[in-house]
Amino acid sequence: MVGLSHYLILGSLLFAISVVGIFLNRKNVIVLLMAIELMLLAVNLNFIAFSHYLQDTAGQVFVFFILTVAAAESAIGLAILVVLFRNLKTINVDDINSLKG
Amino acid sequence: MNFNDYVFYVLAAILLFAGLRVITSRNPVHAALHLVLAFFTAAGIWLLLEAEFLAIALVLVYVGAVMVLFLFVVMMLDINLDKLREGFWEALPIALPVGILMTLEMVMILGSKHFGVDRVAAPTPHPAGYSNTAELGRQLYTDYLLPFELASVVLLVAIVAAIALTLRDRKDSKFIDPAEQVKVKRADRIRMVSMPADVEIPAAAETEGKDKA
Amino acid sequence: MIAFMQNLLGPAWPVVWTLVKIIAIVAPIMGAVAYLTLAERKVIGFMQVRMGPNRVGYFGLLQPIADGLKLLMKEIIIPSAANKTLFLLGPVLAIAPALAAWAVVPFDVDMILADIDAGLLYILAMTSVAVYGVIIAGWASNSKYAFLGSLRSAAQIVSYEIAMGFALVGVLMCAGSLNLGKIVVAQAGGFWQWYWLPLFPLFIVYFISAVAETNRAPFDVAEGESEIVAGFHVEYSGMAFAVFFLAEYANMILVCMLAAIMFLGGWQPLLDVAPFNMIPGFLWLIIKVALLLFFFLWFRATFPRYRYDQIMRLGWKVFIPITLVWIIVVGGLMQTPLAYLFH
Repeated sequence: MVGLSHYLILGSLLFAISVVGIFLNRKNVIVLLMAIELMLLAVNLNFIAFSHYLQDTAGQVFVFFILTVAAAESAIGLAILVVLFRNLKTINVDDINSLKG
Repeated sequence: MNFNDYVFYVLAAILLFAGLRVITSRNPVHAALHLVLAFFTAAGIWLLLEAEFLAIALVLVYVGAVMVLFLFVVMMLDINLDKLREGFWEALPIALPVGILMTLEMVMILGSKHFGVDRVAAPTPHPAGYSNTAELGRQLYTDYLLPFELASVVLLVAIVAAIALTLRDRKDSKFIDPAEQVKVKRADRIRMVSMPADVEIPAAAETEGKDKA
Repeated sequence: MIAFMQNLLGPAWPVVWTLVKIIAIVAPIMGAVAYLTLAERKVIGFMQVRMGPNRVGYFGLLQPIADGLKLLMKEIIIPSAANKTLFLLGPVLAIAPALAAWAVVPFDVDMILADIDAGLLYILAMTSVAVYGVIIAGWASNSKYAFLGSLRSAAQIVSYEIAMGFALVGVLMCAGSLNLGKIVVAQAGGFWQWYWLPLFPLFIVYFISAVAETNRAPFDVAEGESEIVAGFHVEYSGMAFAVFFLAEYANMILVCMLAAIMFLGGWQPLLDVAPFNMIPGFLWLIIKVALLLFFFLWFRATFPRYRYDQIMRLGWKVFIPITLVWIIVVGGLMQTPLAYLFH
């Protein structure tokens, strides 16, 4: 029988995977952004699991706002990435060490 | 184990596999596609949790829009993959213990000891005619009206910022402004020149002939 | 009969019954797609004062079957530098959403596979997933033409999806429900009760966006034969190409079905009086969809192809503002005594 803890542990596993992903892909900005998306997904999963089992829709409203902010975040993140690539011809994090564009 | 439990385990397995592939794929395009798969399976799990609206919104917003954006950027950038993959596994000795430690800590708190089936009972089924979408909408437009409006402002700022960041005037583009095209009057293109007819044709022909010779 | 089968299969019965229903929806769609291609060639033929296909079978009626057989026999060529898995995944991802969206389409009173409350959202989600087939096919082909075509097509689909979604927002404001069945029921009582009348600008925007969304002429720069040879499916042959073809036509029928349900009263008869309401609702729906599909073919025979920047300008600078303004107008009028117009 699947209970609340199953969903929560799934969320935490996903969160740990994305943390490991940030360690491994420390050079590649695109995959870093993807790992952040994965992290937010794990958080959302826990919110919805709690919301379902505690019968409180507030959790789902919270997920709604996280989705909004995450969409905005990835749009701006990708825009910055494109500008960066246009100017420096690289997306390697190590090369992005100057404050001047 | 009933049918829903099997569905949960299958979806969870796919979700974890997709998550692992996102962080380990060699090609960022494959990583993005696996992230799409992860969002899809997560939407399935949310359906199991009776959050229909958010599950469909996840597919609509993330799979349909955000990941398309990701794919566009990833496909268009001409990246030197080998350089980015240099020393990819070097961080593993630090990353793996951190990841395992984090999981263990969270499992200890979130495990069945505190949140198991016997601790948190399965919720009572909703009455007939209950609509998750309607309930969420009611909450958003009453209790959370101000945050909802703020979220829309955040999105608007994001749109403006994304366009402002990436917009540039290319000097070499051959763009034609259709409004300019439509506005053109005859006078802008044609100049009427009145030229009196030249009567001394033979003389002119003679001089031309001389020039050629 | 059904009761007997129910006893025979026991617990497996719901699964089998759902599969039967799915086949009962998908098989006629495939037939409709096949004969839509014939209808297209015939209609455009007559518009250009020629006969269209008339060799295979009487009036060319077996032509789609002959075409299908030909495509089945042909070899599927996979380019050597292509990403094989993704190359084969492309057509699958193109057709799966086009068919999955039919699950929530109501064909008549209670004639619906999955009567879910968020039906309209589900359809929007499924149509937005369809873009992956195009992107993956274009990228996996490892060809400049295919890649450019897929980027054009994907950008176009994503852009027009917004206008389409906003047009449908107007409908759900009027109907007060995301359930497609309820939207149709809300339009009961004759053609002046259908939403095309109070939401006329949205209807026009929806229909033109639907043409652009399915990459049909005059918005077919994505596969402009004369500039980028055939767009994203240039490297596909045989059945893999046929699947893209099927997906395009299934999408056409789907968007016309949605237009009929949202704006033309679905299964409701033209007038709710004797000769009209004798015709079964299912037939009314088919008549409306056929009429809208005829417009698709008519457009193709009539209009020259748009330039790419013109397509984008139309979508972003004309359609989206129109829909936004009309949504505000509808929302405002619903607070006045004129609200009965939008019931």
